Formats: sequence, C-alpha cells, structure tokens
Amino acid sequence: MSAYITSTGAFLPGEPVSNEDMEGILGFVEGRASRLKAKILKANGIVSRHYAIDKNHKTIHSNADMGVAAAKQCLERSPLAASRIGMLSCATTQGDLIAPGFGSMVQAGLGLSEIELHTTHGICSSGAMALRAAANNVRLGEHASALVVASELVSRSFKSTRYEAAGGYASIDFKTEFLRWMLSDGAGAMLLESKPRGQCFQIDWIRSFSHADAFPVCMGIGISTDVQDHRTWQDFPTYAEAEAAGALLIRQDVRLLEHMVKLGVDGALRLIAEGLLNVKKLSYFLCHYSSHHFRSKIFDLLDMAGARIDEEKWYTNLYTRGNTGCASIFVMLDEFRQSRRLKAGETVLCMVPESGRFNNAYMHLTVADA
Amino acid sequence: MSNTLEIVRPEVLSEVGQSTLRGLLRVWFDFERRLAKVPIIHRLDVGSFDADDYRRLLLNLRPQVVEGARWITRCASSFDRDYTDVRSVVIGHAKDEHRDYEMLEADYVAAGGSLELIRAQPRNLGSEILHCFLMYRASQPNPVDLLGAMWIIEGLGNKMANDWATRIEELTGYDRNCTRFLRYHADNDGSHMDKLYGLLDRLCANASAADAIVNTARVVGRLYAMQLEEIDNA
Repeated sequence: MSAYITSTGAFLPGEPVSNEDMEGILGFVEGRASRLKAKILKANGIVSRHYAIDKNHKTIHSNADMGVAAAKQCLERSPLAASRIGMLSCATTQGDLIAPGFGSMVQAGLGLSEIELHTTHGICSSGAMALRAAANNVRLGEHASALVVASELVSRSFKSTRYEAAGGYASIDFKTEFLRWMLSDGAGAMLLESKPRGQCFQIDWIRSFSHADAFPVCMGIGISTDVQDHRTWQDFPTYAEAEAAGALLIRQDVRLLEHMVKLGVDGALRLIAEGLLNVKKLSYFLCHYSSHHFRSKIFDLLDMAGARIDEEKWYTNLYTRGNTGCASIFVMLDEFRQSRRLKAGETVLCMVPESGRFNNAYMHLTVADA
Repeated sequence: MSNTLEIVRPEVLSEVGQSTLRGLLRVWFDFERRLAKVPIIHRLDVGSFDADDYRRLLLNLRPQVVEGARWITRCASSFDRDYTDVRSVVIGHAKDEHRDYEMLEADYVAAGGSLELIRAQPRNLGSEILHCFLMYRASQPNPVDLLGAMWIIEGLGNKMANDWATRIEELTGYDRNCTRFLRYHADNDGSHMDKLYGLLDRLCANASAADAIVNTARVVGRLYAMQLEEIDNA
C-alpha cells in the first residue's frame, strides 16, 4: 500500500514582519536595541516572517488555533469530508498547554470525532515524525486517510520580558539571542490518503537518523545559564527561580552547528548507498537550509563524489516565510505546489534538519496524477 | 607510460572513484561521531577540557606522530615501479611530516611539560595497535589501501587545526605558541585535497581496491579513536 499527500494547507499569522519591525514586536530588552540582531539576520538571510503575538505581547492566535487554521485550509482544498478522516497526527515544539498533548487541542478545534490521535514531541523533526507515523498507518491499511498538522508559536519565548526576567540586557549572549532572530510562527497541514487524488505526491519513503548519542544538546530550553548548574527547569523550587536562572530561555550552541551540515550530508550519502536516493534523477530539493551554508570544501567534495544536488533544484521559502521549526517543511511544500506546475514522475527530496540534538529527516516524493 | 605521469586532480572521478569518495566521507563522519564520544574530546565539546587534558593529549599523541613518519616512508618503499607516480607523492608526504614530532614536543614544553617526560612516554594501547596495523599494511606490496589511512590522518590534522586548536586555547588559556602542532595542518589544504582526488583517480582501478581503501580508513579511524580513549586510561 502507498500513501499520497493529496492536499496541503498553511497558516502564517498576521502581516509579514520585516527585519526593521521585528524588534518593535518582540520588544527591546530593557529598552535597548540588540547588538547582535543585524549580524545574525545577515547570516540567516531571512527578510520577513510572521508572529502570532502583537507589539503589546498579546497572543492573537494560539498555537492550536494556527494548526486548526492550516488544517482547515488543507481540508477545504480537498473533496474528502472531514468526517472520513481516520487519524490526526500533530507536531509542535511547545503546545499552548504543557499537557495534554497538542493533538488533543487541535482535534477539539477541528471538531473531528473519534479519530486516532498522535502527538509527537521534539523540535523541527517532530513534524517529519508525525508525518511518518501517519504515512505508515495509511500504508498499513489501518486508515484510508490521515491529517497531519505541524505548528509553532515560538515568539512567546522571544518577548523582551523573558530576557529581562533572566538577567536582562547584560546577560544576553550569542547563544541566547541567536534563535530570536531566526525562528518565527506558523503552521502547515497535509492530508494523506491511500489512493491518489488529482495531482498529488506519492510518499516513496521517509527516513530519519538521530545522533543524540554522539553530541551534546545544540538547541534547547530547560537548562540554566550557568553551565555548572545541572538542574533542569522543573528541578528549581519555583518556576520563577527557573526563569531567573535562565532555564526557560531558548538557546543555540552555535559552535556545534557545523555538525548539522556534516550529518545532513552523511544521511544523504547513506540513502544513496542504500539505493533510495539518486541525486542525478532528482527534480527538486526542499530544505530550510540554503546552499550557501555548505562551505566550499564540502561542496567540492560532494561534487567530486557525484553526490551534489544542483543549485537550480533547491527550493526554499525560508527567506520570506521565516523558519517555523517543525511547520517549515509543511509551509514549504504547500507554497511549492501552489506556485508551480509539476509533472507526473518528477521527484522531490524534502530534508528536515533538527539541531536540537541532531536529528535529520528525509522524505522522498514522486509527483502523481490521478 | 602513464605510470610516470604526475598525480593531479582529475576533472571528474570515475564511477568507482566517486563511490569510494562517498564511502570515505561516510567513514569520516562516523569517525567524527566516534571521536565526539571519546571522553577527552567530549570534554572539549562541553567545555570542561583543561590544561592537564591538553598536556595529556600531546603526551599520548607523540609516540604515534614519531612512528607516523616511519610507516609513511615504509609505505613509499613498498610501491614498485608500476606505482612510481604514487611513490613520489608518498615520499613528498613523508618528507613533509617526518619531523612533525619536534613541533609537538616544543608545544608540550611551552605548555609547561617536561621534554624528558614526553620523550620517555611509551605508546598507549591504542597507539600500539594503530602502529602495528599501519606498519603491517605499509609492508605489503603496493599498499594501495593506505590511501584510506591518509584520508583519516589528514582529515584529523585538518580537524585539529580548524576545530580543536582555538577551542583548546579558549579553555586552557594557552596561546598559539603552545598549539603550533595542532595548527600546522591547516596550511596547503586545497593542494592536499587535489592530491587526494588525484590519488583516488589513480588507485580506484577496481571495486576490490576501492573496498580495501574504505575498509582501511574504517580500521584506522577505529584505532585512532582507541588511542584517544586510552588517554584517560594511561
């Protein structure tokens, strides 16, 4: 049995926010402008993104609301009745509630009855994990259809008040500020069915390789600013003390980021060796990394090894839609299929790199016409 | 006559050359992950590596660096006249590196270590096995597979220069006078890669040669990691 992506949808809250306007919304820490913003934005190349909070830090759309909005668009684009959906599989880095699972909130928002529910936990790769679980269910014949929803509302972690509560302007370093100028809000959805419908994508395979055993945490929340303090956020007497210790700040250990590219390449080489991936025959490559992150040496190596994906095959909407974590590949595939005419038989490789503790997911699709 | 030509970077590699390079890349990434789990390298990653660690690292690297010059020279002498071009490259390589250990010793002394102590340091368990393996392979006729060993050891030289040296200075307070050996291999990187591509093109004549190259890279990586693991046991 196969699984097909027969519809997609996306929701990006509010108007696009330019680089100039971001800090006005997220807030100036202690009233002062960031020293690192321009440098970080120059490195990631993002020019606009969306936030679900306003400049008064009021939440306009909850995370579940965004997931529901993306799912509704996805369903509106399909003739399949919502009542026929067998499974709802959801992903987010942090839901609105700590518990229950994010999927419960999305299900309630969509009003779907008696479905099988699945929620994955993680960062960027949680969306790919939710997708794989749903695709496998469809492939096994357990359900004829499944709805997959990935949503992120990370801007709440970037409010100036968060940094003020954790030591203020003086205590902000590159690690704590990096993601503030990188991540933003949004949601995406995919409808999976066991039979093709219209122009759709056959899911050939989804694979992921995690390397948490080899490297320390690269991106995370829950560890205090003091590296000698090994308590995690719930180990503090109060949550207020955890926040004051910086344990609720979202951090990126930038020094470890170079492993991302290597591990991404390693996974692709493994898939080539297994005969699953043929870069010469590939039509498109979707990834929320751009080719300029590949330093010339590894680019040269891949070229010589016959494993380089030509630049004209790369597609990303990272620069205009922002990096929406686990929702990114959903938002990207949605815009990709809305924005061009695809031909049956064309192939698409989607890659989801997660720096959290290094988990990379890959999905191979073939365009089908029913 | 082709055997008298020089080894130069080819325009493109053959199919076998390409798949060998892919295999070598995968062995390298696996080696890097294995290294990251070695206690002393893990300390470097998480920031608890200190000056004692650095001196212990140099102390344990020296025996293999001294022997390194010998296996490369032995390797050169094991290539017969059909491999004159390859032998030229290996001789050049041996000449470049056969006194590297003197730089390492000077770094150790600059870092507060004693010259007598480092010169008297025996091979650790990992260095012993690595040395035995390399000398054995280098003694075989036309040891084509040792390209895999060069891949790992050259790659590591590069990693020491690019990833380790600055990090070690940050964590220990040592300056560049103490990390000259680590930094030394950052030079001439481009020409080294061209040589590598040239050798791959020259030596990956068939699938069995290709397999032998990748396999030797895997073995050398494993034994090198063991040498570093043994630092905490020595």
